Amino acid sequence: MNREKMIEELSKIVGKENVLYSDTDLLLYGYDASLFKGKPDCIVFPGSTEEVSKVVKFCHQEKIPVIPRGSGTNLSGGTIPTKGGVIVHFSRMNKILEIDLENQRAVVEPGLFTLTLKNQLVRYGYVYQPDPASEKVSTFGGNFAENSGGPHCLKYGVTTNHVLGAEVVLPDGEVIQVGGKALDQPGYDLTGLLVGSEGTLGIATKLILRIMPKPEAVKTLLAIFNSLEDAGRTVSAIIADGIVPATLEILDKLTIKAVEESVHAGFPLDAEAVLLIEIDGLKDGMERLAERIMDICRKNQAREVRSAKTESERMQLWAGRKGAFGAIARLRPNYLVCDGTVPRTKLPEVLTRVMEVSKKYNLPIANVFHAGDGNLHPLILFDERDEDELKRVHLAGSEIMKLCADAGGTISGEHGIGTEKMREMLFVFSPQDIAAMKKVKMAFDPEEILNPGKVLPEVSA
Amino acid sequence: MPGMDNLFSRLKEVIGEAHILREPNQLKNFSVDGTRPKAILSPGTIEEVSKVVSLANEQRLSIIPMGNGTKMEMGGIPKKGDWILSTLRLNHITDSDCDNLTLSAESGMTLSEIQSQLGKIGRGYFLPLDPPFVEKATLGGIVATNSSGPRRLLYGTVRDLMIGARAVLPNGDVVTSGGKTVKNVSGYDLCKLLIGSYGTLGILCEMTFKLLPLPEKEATLVAPFPKLEEAVQFGRHLLRSQYLPASMEILNGTAVKKIYPPFAHQELYLVAIGLDGVSEAIDRQVSEMSEIAKEKGSLPPSVLQSESHASFWKAIRDFPAQLKQEGKSFISLKSNFLISRYGEVIARYEQMAKASGVECALICHAGNGVLYTYLFIDPKREEKSGSIPSLIEEFSSVVRKYEGQLMVEFSPPDIKKKIDVWGGWRPDYEIMRRIKEKIDPQGILNPGRFVGGI
Repeated sequence: MNREKMIEELSKIVGKENVLYSDTDLLLYGYDASLFKGKPDCIVFPGSTEEVSKVVKFCHQEKIPVIPRGSGTNLSGGTIPTKGGVIVHFSRMNKILEIDLENQRAVVEPGLFTLTLKNQLVRYGYVYQPDPASEKVSTFGGNFAENSGGPHCLKYGVTTNHVLGAEVVLPDGEVIQVGGKALDQPGYDLTGLLVGSEGTLGIATKLILRIMPKPEAVKTLLAIFNSLEDAGRTVSAIIADGIVPATLEILDKLTIKAVEESVHAGFPLDAEAVLLIEIDGLKDGMERLAERIMDICRKNQAREVRSAKTESERMQLWAGRKGAFGAIARLRPNYLVCDGTVPRTKLPEVLTRVMEVSKKYNLPIANVFHAGDGNLHPLILFDERDEDELKRVHLAGSEIMKLCADAGGTISGEHGIGTEKMREMLFVFSPQDIAAMKKVKMAFDPEEILNPGKVLPEVSA
Repeated sequence: MPGMDNLFSRLKEVIGEAHILREPNQLKNFSVDGTRPKAILSPGTIEEVSKVVSLANEQRLSIIPMGNGTKMEMGGIPKKGDWILSTLRLNHITDSDCDNLTLSAESGMTLSEIQSQLGKIGRGYFLPLDPPFVEKATLGGIVATNSSGPRRLLYGTVRDLMIGARAVLPNGDVVTSGGKTVKNVSGYDLCKLLIGSYGTLGILCEMTFKLLPLPEKEATLVAPFPKLEEAVQFGRHLLRSQYLPASMEILNGTAVKKIYPPFAHQELYLVAIGLDGVSEAIDRQVSEMSEIAKEKGSLPPSVLQSESHASFWKAIRDFPAQLKQEGKSFISLKSNFLISRYGEVIARYEQMAKASGVECALICHAGNGVLYTYLFIDPKREEKSGSIPSLIEEFSSVVRKYEGQLMVEFSPPDIKKKIDVWGGWRPDYEIMRRIKEKIDPQGILNPGRFVGGI
């Protein structure tokens, strides 16, 4: 179908003012937070489930790719229109539909920002636990598609543990409900399957989330180290001691420097690493637990352990962590975030090997990551205008994924496979594993309309 | 039949003659809702499972997977059942990494064996699942049926705790999903698809779970309420609070009589709060919750510790096992609904059962909106059993109003013939059917026992 005709048909569904197709628009929606680029045919902004369904039905008939998109904070190229097609953008479907305290659920539209819901919940004393670093703008549709994590996922689990149901538009435009407000609906756990499927199986148009009363008490500590490995070893030791804090985050020297230059969190500039620790729950025994943790830190060569005395001190420490990616972006024009995840016992040795990769490819690597989950985020800094450097960046990124896989870990903990890591899927999966996933894809989307060219590499099983 | 003999000689090559059971007298004990298998096969490795399944697929023979058989009455009546595949020889811990707080084990192991081994390592660890059939339930059966227990309130269910799985698909492929990392978004989460799939997509062989250290202290607060409404108010208060109970159960009088002898002679609703954690937190919660219970109208609450705490929860979890052991004839139902509605559901169920003249025990995970109902069938009033299906339909209409469903868990086949044990059609069953067809095109795995006739 020619493009004019397509735009005309789509305009009939969502209204002329809700379709974009100028050259500038196509450029703007052709990239996300990854290093990849593509070019869509147009961008539509539906205002209701019915409109999404009609758009998808139309694209299904005409065999046009459909790429759902929120804020585009995706770090693996999951929202790149690799094969052209229609971008379905959810900025108009951004409402909180219901906060149901009695049943501990919230019902939201996919275009809602994560933090917007959390801010509303504060007044009731409730929380939605997952906290992706980009929560100020990351949308629930994106969280759903990518199974997003965040610092507090160590104790509370990732998005999949907090999404209990959804209204979903299937690749042929049909609308179904999966899961629900009540737990344990019979049948296959389609909600669990759809979360993290990166928009390749269905498009969520409504999400049912678990919310809970906020913890009675919280305590935040900062341990300062003269070596990154010691910080890693401390994390392994805390977990091995049977303690599961709400958060265990590491920032290395390069990150500390960047953070201090931009947000002034009070991290010492001469430290090799800091470890941010948060425990929460009932107030009873919390001091005793904090003492135990501080003890483990000292045994693992922490040179100092601080404890946030006030809420503003706590917020300052967190500003350092949350602002880290942004601060690092000031150091070099570009960065690639790796997302390899390893068993917690392997952290110290894997960190050492990551720094070897930095030396081998002569690329600076900053580390700021969810250490308690074993979820590394080495940020490889570079300038994309330098072609040789860009080549080395991709090689280094792939090598880091390989060393995580070899340590018994995996290639992505929370950012997804997208277009970026398809080849590396074979580091962790056999052709049979991929073939099984492909069957699931075929059950949902035999014509490969939804977000084509993502997640699953071509294999012959 | 020469074809059959040839097939069994191939099976012998794969798993050895000693692990094939074909004695007609013994096979009849393995009937599933009247379907008698032609053989019981016990492969000893995942590779052997793969070969057995491949053979079945090639011959279009159907397989019913089984561990210790605690849940064989669950699900719909099988359409076919040529072989039973026993997982009991898959009984090894394959990776115990307590420092990483994960454990991988094969599906034929019992959870109780796992717990007892974990309890002995270092400071002591556990896998935070507490489903029914304490001694006998195997990991495979627990995962395949998404079985859970009272402590799911704090720790979640299999979907929150299982992070990796290896399964054999109908074409014989050994497929891995997830792994040993607590975060993982590499590819589709096939673990979620396998949990609660009742063996219709693959034979679960090995699973990886998250672990936790044993809590410093455990205790139970037992608050007896003369009135249901008061018990419900108490539960509601706790759910809105910042307390962190591990479990919160409400039992009706009939259940109390069988589970908690001190109140066997009174008509009461019992609210039982399980508490795990550091000792200071347990002590404060016990004392504050007792006060709240009394304010809401409870008789003096009691605190159970160590032995009495452990045996109380074992009695709750093993309620269906106990009934089976006593030879009671009963039907058990699982209902789910909005978590705030347990009071209404309990009240309506009791009224309806009373009106039908059926005795029922109710045990509710009050913080999760999940209710287990046990209907006792009186053999002397056989003519009345005709009213059971209509009673179940009445119950169903109650929970549907609260966004839930009713599932028949244990029931004799004659009841199953009259009703859909899964509680009726849902629109998402169509896509489930398509998944089943792609993965198991010949329908060899557990045909007929799952939702929508899958």
